[in-house]
Amino acid sequence: MNANIDFKNLWKQQDIEQPNHADLLLTLKRYKNKGLRRLVLTNVLLFITIVCLVLIWYFFQPQMITTKIGLITTILAMVIFVFAYNTLFKYYKAASESESNRAYLQDLIAIKRKQKFVQTKMLQFYFILLSLGVCLYLYEYVNKMPTAIGLLVYALTLLWIAFNWFYLRPKMIKKQEEKLDTLIKKFELINRQLDEQLEIKA
Amino acid sequence: MSFEDIYNHYWSKIFRLCMGYVNDHAVAQDLAQETFIIVWQQLPKFRKESSIGTWIYRIASNRCLRQLETDKKIQKSELPFQIKEDVPISIEPQIQFLYTCISNLPETDRIIISLELEDVKQAEIAKIVGLSEGNIRVRIHRIKAILTEKFKVYER
Repeated sequence: MNANIDFKNLWKQQDIEQPNHADLLLTLKRYKNKGLRRLVLTNVLLFITIVCLVLIWYFFQPQMITTKIGLITTILAMVIFVFAYNTLFKYYKAASESESNRAYLQDLIAIKRKQKFVQTKMLQFYFILLSLGVCLYLYEYVNKMPTAIGLLVYALTLLWIAFNWFYLRPKMIKKQEEKLDTLIKKFELINRQLDEQLEIKA
Repeated sequence: MSFEDIYNHYWSKIFRLCMGYVNDHAVAQDLAQETFIIVWQQLPKFRKESSIGTWIYRIASNRCLRQLETDKKIQKSELPFQIKEDVPISIEPQIQFLYTCISNLPETDRIIISLELEDVKQAEIAKIVGLSEGNIRVRIHRIKAILTEKFKVYER
C-alpha cells in the first residue's frame, strides 16, 4: 500500500446500526422515569425511618432526656448522610457535558476530589453520630433492667459498634478511596495529555 | 433542528467517534445512546453559542472520557435500550485494523483523530477539545504519521 492511505474512507465504512426513532423515544421516557423512581425511593426510605423513630417517641413516651437526644442524633445522622449524597448530585449537574474536553476533565477531577472528601469524612461522621445516638437511646431502657442484663446489653451494643468502627468502616472507606483514587489518577493522566500538546507549540 | 433530525444526521458520526474511542461495538452503541439521551435532555437549553455539531461532539467526547468510570462493569441490564446483542461484525480487516490502532492511542488523540476523519474542521476540533488550532494541526499530523507507519507494518 502506498503512503497515502485513505483513512477517511476506511473510517466511514464502519458498520453502523441505528435504533429506530420510535424505540429511542420510548426508551428515553422509560429512562427518565427510572431516574425519578430512584430519587423517590431514597427519600421515601429516609422518610419511613424517620416516621418510625417519631412513632417510637410517641408511643413509648421516653422519660429521660438522653433517650430523646439519642433519637434526634440518630435521625440527624441519616439526614446528614442523605444530604451529603444529594450535594454530590448537584456537583455532577453543575459540570456541563457541553464544555470542551479540557474544561470537562478539570471539572471531573474536582468532583472526584469532593466526592472522596464527602464519602470518607461523611461516613466517619455518620458512624459516630449513629453510635452515639444508639448508646444514648438505650440508656433509659437499660437503666430499668437488672444490672447484669443491662451490662450485657451495653456490652453487646458496644461490641456491635466496635465491629462497625474497626472492621466495616475502614473497609468501606478503603474501598471507596481506592476506587476514587484510581479514577482521579486516570483523569489526571488524560488531562496531562492535553498539557503535553500545549508543550508541542511552545 | 428537531431532535429527530439531529438524531438521524448525527447518529452514525457519533457512533464512529465512540467506536474509535473504545473499539467495541456494544460499548460504542451504549456510549452513542447515552450521548443522545443527554442531547435530548439538554436540547431545550442549547443556546447556539456554538454550532450544533460542536455541541454534540463535545457531549459525545466528554461521555467517552467519562467512560472509564463504568469501565469493566458495564451492566447490560442498566442499558437504556437494547438492540440485538450479537451484531454480526464482518467488516474488512483493514477497517478493523484502523479502529484498533485508533483505540490504542492516548485518549485525547483518539478523539482528535476521530473528529478529523469525520471531516470536522480543525478550528471546530480545537473548540471541542479545548486547545488551539495550531496544536490540533500538529497533533493530527503526528497521529496520521503513527497510523501510516502502523499500516505499513501491517501490510507487510
